[in-house]
Amino acid sequence: MKDIFFFDSNVRVGFDNRHRGASVQELLDEMDLYGIDRALVRSMSTKCSGAVIGNQLVTDVIAADTTGRLDGVWCILPSQCDDMPCPDDFFDSMKKNNIRAITLEPFDHRYVPCRLTLGKILDAATERKIPVLLHAFQGMWSELYQFMKEFPDLTCIVNAGHKWGTDRNIRPLLENFANCSIELGGYWIPEGIADLAKLYGANRLLYGSNFPGYNQGSSVFQLKHSTLDGDSIALIAEKNLENLLKGADL
Amino acid sequence: MTPIWQQSNSLAARFWENGIVEDCPVYDMHAHMGYHDSIYFKRCSPEAMVAHLRRIGVRRLVFSHDMALAGIMRNAEIVEICKQFPDILRMYVSINPHFQENIKEDLAMFDKWQPYAIGLKFLADYHKVPVTDKAYEYAWKFADERGIPVLNHTWGTSPFNGGKVMYEATRKYPNAKTFLGHCIFGEWDYAARCVNESSNVYLELTAVPGERNRIEQLVSAVGSKKILFGTDLPWFDEYQAVGGVLAAKISDEEKRDILYRNAQEIFGNDR
Repeated sequence: MKDIFFFDSNVRVGFDNRHRGASVQELLDEMDLYGIDRALVRSMSTKCSGAVIGNQLVTDVIAADTTGRLDGVWCILPSQCDDMPCPDDFFDSMKKNNIRAITLEPFDHRYVPCRLTLGKILDAATERKIPVLLHAFQGMWSELYQFMKEFPDLTCIVNAGHKWGTDRNIRPLLENFANCSIELGGYWIPEGIADLAKLYGANRLLYGSNFPGYNQGSSVFQLKHSTLDGDSIALIAEKNLENLLKGADL
Repeated sequence: MTPIWQQSNSLAARFWENGIVEDCPVYDMHAHMGYHDSIYFKRCSPEAMVAHLRRIGVRRLVFSHDMALAGIMRNAEIVEICKQFPDILRMYVSINPHFQENIKEDLAMFDKWQPYAIGLKFLADYHKVPVTDKAYEYAWKFADERGIPVLNHTWGTSPFNGGKVMYEATRKYPNAKTFLGHCIFGEWDYAARCVNESSNVYLELTAVPGERNRIEQLVSAVGSKKILFGTDLPWFDEYQAVGGVLAAKISDEEKRDILYRNAQEIFGNDR
């Protein structure tokens, strides 16, 4: 009998202009191989092909998924240009297409991530508690801190992965922003997951693999043997993300 | 498909269930110790590291202390740390090319530091001196004459320990057992070339486990007998790194080669 259910919060499919990436079938095969039950999926193409095309690719992936194991993420853009509908229409469309969270790629899409550009849609996302994935800020802590100060109540997910451990940067976020969750793909600090859970609560941490860059096997094994109790592992592995998605008013 | 963690009697299933497998010890061939300026380490003392190691069944950890690499501590002090945990800790003699007198003094002590000192550690990227520079010559010759290991921090495209430089060094000192730490990360073809054109060069995996399909590609390129396991502890969690090996799409026999057999072949079971 399966002892832990895993919901991977950091997965991309497709390819970009420099990397082959992985297909949906390859993702599903690896999920089977490593015991991953569900995945929150972004498009790898979004960074180089833009949000509109990337969102359509995600929509196609979710529509074609017959397993029911995949949930989608759409990318937002500044509201002053007309390539995205107004927030209410955007969120209605997300609901119709089983898109459960949003993300942004300001540095590739060439705009400043701030209240001037994203205020309308992120204020609405804050109100509706829609999870916002902030992977684009990886390693750009100054920019992320500034962004978080402008949207302090945002329900958001920050990736903690880096080969040089990130505790000096993620702990201030956990301490100061109650709706900020930390996603653990690439966070390899010895027994660091348990340390974070004890300091800030297991409900603040999310399992993520960073597929296709990383395989999903090493990270599930790390979490399984993190020294945390079964309830805490279950929260991090699956339930916290499920609760965030269920809490969104879409 | 049954997940690897549930496949009957597989190494992955046994590790998943128990967190440790008695007949599959782990030899971690690349570690450090002590505080570091650029990263927060909660578990960098000998006691904390050894406690972490025992959970997963690491039989030997071979480390170079960061303070010794920096030149702040001397290698003689590291021998005393090893003596606190003689069943598990072994050391590389840290070589700092900016302190030539220390190198000569320390290598003169190498035999007296047995069984703890098993080789040398070069950290050329951080000392900013290419491993082919004259500043490393005394240490290289010492290792080459004795056929002992030299663990090199390596990284792709580095002018100090990238593919081109490491290839040159491995050709110049063919008798030293050269461990390519991080497998010349990013210059994978150069790493394979270094191994395949010499009988004494090994890839060392630190920072690689977890990279999707990478271990599979390295095993295909050089064979499982030429790959050693490592973690950079206290950088990386032993379970994450062992998990990366267990998750690789290679046979259990090849996983055993990487996790302990190759190290035992080099050092003997009781070193």
